[in-house]
Amino acid sequence: MKKKAISLLLAAMLLLSLTACGGEKTTESPAASIAPSAEASQTYTVGICQLVQHPALDAATQGFKDALTEKLGDKVIFDEQNASGDVPTCAIISNQFVSSNVDLILANATPALQAAQTATSTIPVLGTSITDFATALGLNNWTGATGTNISGTSDLAPLDQQAAMVKELFPDAKNIGILYCSAEANSKYQSQAMTEYLTEMGYSCKDYTFSDSNDLQTVTTAAAAECDVIYLPTDNTVASNTEIIKNVCVPAGVPIIAGEEGICAGCGVATLSISFYDLGYTTGQMAYEILVNGSDPATMQIQYAPIVTKEYNVEIAKALGITIPADYVAIAAE
Amino acid sequence: MDILAYFASLKPLNLIMSLPGNVAQGVIWGVMALGVYLSYRLLDFPDLTVDGSFATGGAVTVVLILAGVPVPIALVAAVLSGILAGMITGLLHTLLGIPGILAGILTQISLWSVNLMILDGANKAVNVDKFTLIVSLRNIGNSIITALGFAVVLIMLLYWYFGTEQGSAIRATGCNPHMSKAQGINIDNMKVLALCISNGLVALSGGLMSQYQGFADIKMGQGAIVIGLAAVIIGDVLGDALFSKRMNFAIRLIFVVIGGVVYYLVIGLVMWLRMPTDLLKLLTAAIVAVFLAVPYLRSKAKNSFSLAGKRGV
Repeated sequence: MKKKAISLLLAAMLLLSLTACGGEKTTESPAASIAPSAEASQTYTVGICQLVQHPALDAATQGFKDALTEKLGDKVIFDEQNASGDVPTCAIISNQFVSSNVDLILANATPALQAAQTATSTIPVLGTSITDFATALGLNNWTGATGTNISGTSDLAPLDQQAAMVKELFPDAKNIGILYCSAEANSKYQSQAMTEYLTEMGYSCKDYTFSDSNDLQTVTTAAAAECDVIYLPTDNTVASNTEIIKNVCVPAGVPIIAGEEGICAGCGVATLSISFYDLGYTTGQMAYEILVNGSDPATMQIQYAPIVTKEYNVEIAKALGITIPADYVAIAAE
Repeated sequence: MDILAYFASLKPLNLIMSLPGNVAQGVIWGVMALGVYLSYRLLDFPDLTVDGSFATGGAVTVVLILAGVPVPIALVAAVLSGILAGMITGLLHTLLGIPGILAGILTQISLWSVNLMILDGANKAVNVDKFTLIVSLRNIGNSIITALGFAVVLIMLLYWYFGTEQGSAIRATGCNPHMSKAQGINIDNMKVLALCISNGLVALSGGLMSQYQGFADIKMGQGAIVIGLAAVIIGDVLGDALFSKRMNFAIRLIFVVIGGVVYYLVIGLVMWLRMPTDLLKLLTAAIVAVFLAVPYLRSKAKNSFSLAGKRGV
């Protein structure tokens, strides 16, 4: 009987431990609820929901925090959460931000933005690292601003200029392969736009999609065998596996144009680069406008990366014997 | 001092305020866990199809809602898609003799392609401002009631069904396939049937979840089996502690759903603690491991050797 009582107690403690820390202080709740609103004129709480640990997304979050900290100093408190790649956890995080009534939510990556959009129609939400806001939010009649509590920054590098780069470096190529992960909506969007531009210039394009890093090598080998040049969009899975792509494409002599600097540094020849840190920084400035100057996200235009630069990878360009025009900047070796 | 500042920065009120949302999501995943319970516990078949069929349910629901189909019909279609997925796993196993785990994995990875085709991409939003959704993060109170309604009706249906001759045959198949076969039960049919029901429930849960979060994503089912198993086992432990051996089938099912809720309360707690975000998975695993360890430690404490040791014999 004693044993049973102990085990019951153990189980009960487990359960209670979930709520107890909250429960015991309910008596203080009036004070706790007054405190934030009294401080509201001075400090701002910003919830950050990031989908997954990832160099580009991390840089965007860092840029956002730096911009706001620069302007507000210690008057801004960040509640930074990362769903560690679990899509349903984004809903949990959004719910947490809304129920604690943060002043602004930064949603980093598409599912995070969608969960935040569903969770609140009143708290301002800024998205970053989003390629196409209209598709992500399910909006028709896209005008450049959402008309709701949402605004933000898009990581779309100007694709027409990237297509022009292919033309500039490889005028004699015929077949362009576009390689990306089938799980990433952003990549598909870029591939479609890129195909349109390249086809107009007289190239023929083909998509090569893989479902995860396990198929990547096989798919890349097929692409390298059939194409003269490969284009890589700003694909997160590609970004994490550039070594595989490099080991297939450099020996095969197939040059790669990449959608962003990180991928280009790993396996590309050249890129038109945007910086995710700058993107996050721009988002932080938007947040300042909303929090302090009372701007309305509904009418704020979606911002793009402020600066784009033509960059190239010295080592791979040399290995493939490609002459790079003088206006390209070499990517610094790490 | 840092530790004190850390505790001072935690706001208990925020934890309490976020509870309803975690409960809503927990009940929705509880429906999914009912499906896992059927395959894993009743049939003794660790079915990995669910990672795929959960996303399939979500994808079918969102695509149909966007096409203007009423939500209830979209959910029925989601259930049917799940049943189909379960049937494929079942047939791979029974007709083609592929081992259970492998059959589930095969269906799961093929569903990745199927889901991409259904969604026509990796992600599709269903905007709560434009469509009438039955559950949504926007309206958590109603979502809890609706999700609980689903759970209650499903538990009643399952309780009734597994008391019928056919349902009992499924349970017998799980308990002892050889004996069941000797009794004239077609165990292959029973396995396929149970997998169909199980994945139908999982897909229904996926359909609810996609509405709740406002989108369907190709990756939304990733790791679903882990959450499902955790819910089943947490439910078992709590049920055993509270009801001991007096748990009947209906109470077991209820505790499966409670297990889902507890799982998401744990996640909410970990988030609230504001630990370094990279620790999320580790802390979640640690807390679930505690639940898993309790029944083992209890049984160890009860076994005759340790009792004898205490008596000093």
